[in-house]
Amino acid sequence: MSDRSKRITLKEAAEIVKDGTILTFSGFTIWRRPMALVYELIRQKRKDLHLIEVNSGPHSEFLIGAGCVKIWESCWIGHELYGKYGANLARKVKEKEIIYEDYSHAEMGFRFLAAASGMPFIACQTSLGTDIHNPEYDMMGRAGLRNGSNPKIPKKKYEWTEDMFFGEGRQTLVPAAKADVAVLAVQQVGEEGTVRIGGQYFTDPEVCRAADITIVVAEEIVPEEKLRHQAQLNNIPGFQVDYIVECPYGAHPTGMFGYYDVDGDYLRNFYATTRTQEGFDAFAKEWIHGLDHDAYLTKLGIPRLLTLQASRALNFSTRIKRGAK
Amino acid sequence: MSEKDFAKAGDFTLADLMTVAAAREVNDHEVVFAGTGMPMVAIMLAQKTHAPNLKLIFEAGTFDGRPDVLPTSVGDPRCEDGASRASGLVEAFSIAQRGYVDLGFLGGAEVDEYGNVNTTVIGDYLNPDLRLTGSGGNPDINSFAKRTVFIMVHEPRRFTKNVSYITSPGWRVKKWPSGEFISRKELYGGAYRGGPSAVISTAGVFRFNEDTGRMYLDTYHPGKTPEEIKGMCQFDLDISRVSGETPLPTYDQLRIIHEVLDPEEIFLPKVKKA
Repeated sequence: MSDRSKRITLKEAAEIVKDGTILTFSGFTIWRRPMALVYELIRQKRKDLHLIEVNSGPHSEFLIGAGCVKIWESCWIGHELYGKYGANLARKVKEKEIIYEDYSHAEMGFRFLAAASGMPFIACQTSLGTDIHNPEYDMMGRAGLRNGSNPKIPKKKYEWTEDMFFGEGRQTLVPAAKADVAVLAVQQVGEEGTVRIGGQYFTDPEVCRAADITIVVAEEIVPEEKLRHQAQLNNIPGFQVDYIVECPYGAHPTGMFGYYDVDGDYLRNFYATTRTQEGFDAFAKEWIHGLDHDAYLTKLGIPRLLTLQASRALNFSTRIKRGAK
Repeated sequence: MSEKDFAKAGDFTLADLMTVAAAREVNDHEVVFAGTGMPMVAIMLAQKTHAPNLKLIFEAGTFDGRPDVLPTSVGDPRCEDGASRASGLVEAFSIAQRGYVDLGFLGGAEVDEYGNVNTTVIGDYLNPDLRLTGSGGNPDINSFAKRTVFIMVHEPRRFTKNVSYITSPGWRVKKWPSGEFISRKELYGGAYRGGPSAVISTAGVFRFNEDTGRMYLDTYHPGKTPEEIKGMCQFDLDISRVSGETPLPTYDQLRIIHEVLDPEEIFLPKVKKA
């Protein structure tokens, strides 16, 4: 990889994500989600995606609402303060238009840690006695997807064993979360792929290594040597990154530590108006179809983007209205 | 009126009362795992009053945070202000599974008599009436912490005989593959640390019988009676151990909530005065 440029366009990045791809993302709920690439996938009418994520959020609500997703495998979906659940997932679940698979949050995190470390599974002791472990609720098993035909889909949802080393009782074994493609939205990436994340890195290092192909969508592509001057501040080495895209405000309406805050008004509006398919289609027509990223930013407008812009000292915006006051 | 006086009716909201009740569950020096919303305000209130040495953990990966400005969610840059370390989720849950966490604050859509909580679905999981957010870290924090406190809206349909789906484990849980109910302690074995210690609802504060794991009413909020609250539960609520009315907020606590912690009224609106 080092003998050619990793730099591609947003459109080219979306083309790497084929129909049926097992896809995962950077970020945490409403923070650092690769929204610009998600919009591009919707424009390109991607189908049958299998989303596997530590936790979900607005990015998946968009993909699910647009009909791009066949399988949603995670533990949580919503918009935090700005929308209490994932209305698009809820609609598709009710209409049986999507396969949903629930693990717990820690289990999903540990599954990615396993995949990122080359372990086929990992042992944990969470969520015992809950319906998350109900064998009747193995939804991918019920759909006949655990037959080994896709080598990245585990043949079982769970297995249990006794601790054979220390005798500390029953252990849940969760399978590695293996993905085809990871898309990361981060602050800075070097020309050779070195990633420097600002603030909490969530599960980005694990998510990156769990996938065969990693695409990094960065606010800025910066000279590699600048990042290598202080390597201890970097989170992901360049050789784990296959493609890089420069895309300012590429995570909007989710937030980017040090660059911009969450656009709560946008998320509230999305949540309120996309309960129905007609509502989603109208929203997508207005904000996605027929626009490219520059046109999207132009439509948002400079005053709105400046309001969201983070204080350079505080890493969040002091101008946004978050509550009633 | 003095800062230490209890507020008079009309000077505080139900949300204020619940936040103060939640803050009271925190002991000094404890490691506390915080969720988004009212729990965050409650923990930060405890941090600024009786528990200045508590250690605050945010699920997304921030440890021993002392935020200056109220975060709107655990992924928020505001969490990291004053923190000892900002990292990621695998580290947060590894620390929790290792046994560092004393107390977790959680929410729920439904709860049963044994403290099993549902945040996943209303109706049959396979044919749902309404799909909700899903578990998030609710069952994890609940499994790993020594105590968990749930904060909930109180409606009869939410305090139910059987939750639609056990997202988060109570004191009597399911043993798979049969699904028969057994005690949490028995199922968890070596991984047992504790379980739900309180439910703070919009009607009262509830705790759990040490032997049976059944819920009982501890205190009732002003304006409610134990009998009335019993009528707001689909199970047979034990009201034989009621200790009294839920203590009211003090003016000092109200000042900290509204002037220091949440002046923007993100989670806690101020009392509207005519």
